[in-house]
Amino acid sequence: MASRPRSYKAQKVIDRLGQKLNRQVVGSLAACVHCGMCTESCHYVLANPDDPTFAPAYKADRLRKLFKRHYDWTGRVLPWWVNAQSVYTDEELQELKDIVFGKCTNCRRCSVNCPMGVDFATFNRMARGLLVHVGIMPEGVAAVSKDQWEIGNQMGVLKEDYLETVEWMSDEVVDEMGDDKAAIPMDKKDVNIVYTINPREIKYDPRTIANAAKIFYAAGESWTMPSEGWDMTNFGLFSGDDDLGGAVARRVYDKVHDLNGKILVMSECGHGYRSTRCEGPNWAGYDIDFEMESSVVTMLRYIKEGRIRVDKSKNPGAFTYHDSCNFARSCGMFEEPRELLNLVTNDFREMYPNRAENYCCTGGGGAMSMAEYTPQRLKSAKVKADQLRATGAKYVVTSCHNCEDGLNDLIKHYKLDMEVTQLVNLVAEALIVDKKEAVAEVAAKAAPAAELAGYTILVVDDEPDMREFLTTVLEDNGATVLTAADGDLGLEMARTHKPDLMTLDLSMPGTDGAKVYETMRKEHDLKGIKVCVVTGKPELRKLIYDRDIQRPEGYLDKPIAEDSLLLNLRKILEVGSEKS
Amino acid sequence: MTVEKKFNETVLRLVDEDITLMDVDAFVFYARTDLQLGTGIGNAITMRGGPGVQEELDKIGTAQVGQAVLTSAGKLKAKNIIHAVGPTFQEADTESKLQKTTVAVLAAAEKNQVQKLAFPPMGSGFYGIAPDQSAQVMLATISAHLKNKTGLKEVFICARDPRDMKPFSARLQAMS
Ligand code: SF4
Ligand code: SF4
Repeated sequence: MASRPRSYKAQKVIDRLGQKLNRQVVGSLAACVHCGMCTESCHYVLANPDDPTFAPAYKADRLRKLFKRHYDWTGRVLPWWVNAQSVYTDEELQELKDIVFGKCTNCRRCSVNCPMGVDFATFNRMARGLLVHVGIMPEGVAAVSKDQWEIGNQMGVLKEDYLETVEWMSDEVVDEMGDDKAAIPMDKKDVNIVYTINPREIKYDPRTIANAAKIFYAAGESWTMPSEGWDMTNFGLFSGDDDLGGAVARRVYDKVHDLNGKILVMSECGHGYRSTRCEGPNWAGYDIDFEMESSVVTMLRYIKEGRIRVDKSKNPGAFTYHDSCNFARSCGMFEEPRELLNLVTNDFREMYPNRAENYCCTGGGGAMSMAEYTPQRLKSAKVKADQLRATGAKYVVTSCHNCEDGLNDLIKHYKLDMEVTQLVNLVAEALIVDKKEAVAEVAAKAAPAAELAGYTILVVDDEPDMREFLTTVLEDNGATVLTAADGDLGLEMARTHKPDLMTLDLSMPGTDGAKVYETMRKEHDLKGIKVCVVTGKPELRKLIYDRDIQRPEGYLDKPIAEDSLLLNLRKILEVGSEKS
Repeated sequence: MTVEKKFNETVLRLVDEDITLMDVDAFVFYARTDLQLGTGIGNAITMRGGPGVQEELDKIGTAQVGQAVLTSAGKLKAKNIIHAVGPTFQEADTESKLQKTTVAVLAAAEKNQVQKLAFPPMGSGFYGIAPDQSAQVMLATISAHLKNKTGLKEVFICARDPRDMKPFSARLQAMS
């Protein structure tokens, strides 16, 4: 019988599989006895009980068949007996892509529930890597990977924008503390702490940087931020590309080494922590000559050692904690965040199940960048929404930026009355510093009333309440405000008035907000206008990741807090080269 | 330490520089067939150089693997950008395609009287070409070109990442 022809890429995938097999992977591929105990662990299964294709063992079997066919003697000799099966076409590889990227967040919940020790998430990651190697991946994954390979961070933040943003935040902290010593040091040598962050903080949530700076200042820490190698996140963990993982980790380690820092501290980011602290040294083949620590541990140390004092009454309300899969299940950070949370709040309510058994935020494994799977992702988030709702808490705290986005999306989708925050914000809020009156949010409260004077801002939103809210806040702060109730009018007014900035609601009737955004980016005369997307629609997060359209300068989730709105708009208007 | 070699009157130099900030007559962008700048270095070109580069590319349309097209460099220091479409992701005949792409870049540079030209480590990184393979093909192709009559005076290879710098540096140093 003539053998079936195989596509070039399919052959490459099979060859690469052979190179990637190690004992751990082979063990996991061989050990499954199909007992089904992992099935109910998976949030995708819970949301799709009638669809067996979501079961971890089913997904794993797609890879297992391939392994058996080519690398296990039983499958080579008796393929029909062990159900071995090869791949032949690019279409089959695309199908595989939809499984390994679209039906699994690599959360490892099934892994900890398997009595046979099968770590499906590990070989799912390996399978992603096989596909990425031949260029088969979701577009968002390609866009983000390319940014991290070539610009050095996941969000394509240029060096000047990074430096300017940090300097801007530094000035805010100095003003607030009334002390030049509160400035954020850059590239200072021989320090105790080199502080690395997630680029999302620079791009869309800089208040966490200022809050960390306040805490370091209050603790009298010798610290610095690095001008290079500052992104401790690592898309290699998600894309399965160990080369990217190694290159990114090395940049961070090299810089800490050059600065002669004693401890590399990572801000609250689950996958960043896992990549940099746990996986990176292997990927990079690096001999680490410094300590590594999560900022959660650093903040906890400060309080325990009496280096900072906190007042928990500054954080009123009920709080729950979401364990990030990477931070908690994969790296064992269960108790430290809880201890810290209890030190800075009065009403902590545990979420069930929790710790290693917690459910994924559903935005893990790079899912936030894969727009095509968003409906599936949000559907699978039901169990998470139920967990959150049952706590009765107003705030969910998480030590992960990915989880923050994932949770924000599902909170909107399931209409929960909750907000997401991080420990760094709560610790900063609770700080007692000598100049007590000075310790307010770095955000807008610190901004004098006319901070937006001289700027014209066009508010495009179909909700009258939202238009009024935005107009009032912006006018109170000195801006000239124009408004438009739909996308077409918004575009027309943008053409006529050339505002400095447009706030754009994405979920309006009529011309779709996403279309308006595309026009803003493609039409010659509109390109120079900065855009801050304001959305209540998780599906439109794709604008941040789509490869062919420049990312918006700002991205705010509804509902918007006034301080966050002002801080972000000021940052967009005052910082950065993104003026095209 | 700067690594460089002279071929007749032309210097071939490895530098640890951001290619989009280079003050050259032209630098090379490893482009896609649809000529969309996209993320990564493409994003830096758009952000720093303005929207004009993409607009010029949109007028050109598309290009095939092995081809190179020239645009202005907008507000960047460089005068031009040569968008070179090279092989990606382990595709068949990577080596010969990469060589053909490098040749196309050099031809475009000569045609446009480019004297200072900057290359990235072509295809290394996101597109998955092994850094050593990129170094071997690029250095062989460029050096062969420079041994003939050329208008090029300085050719740079911007290798920011040590994983590129190492093989490029080793291979350039080993060249006679
Ligand atoms: S629990 Fe383990 S052995 Fe059982 S089906 Fe799942 S992966 Fe296989
Ligand atoms: S790793 Fe998580 S998402 Fe993936 S199959 Fe297991 S439980 Fe489901």
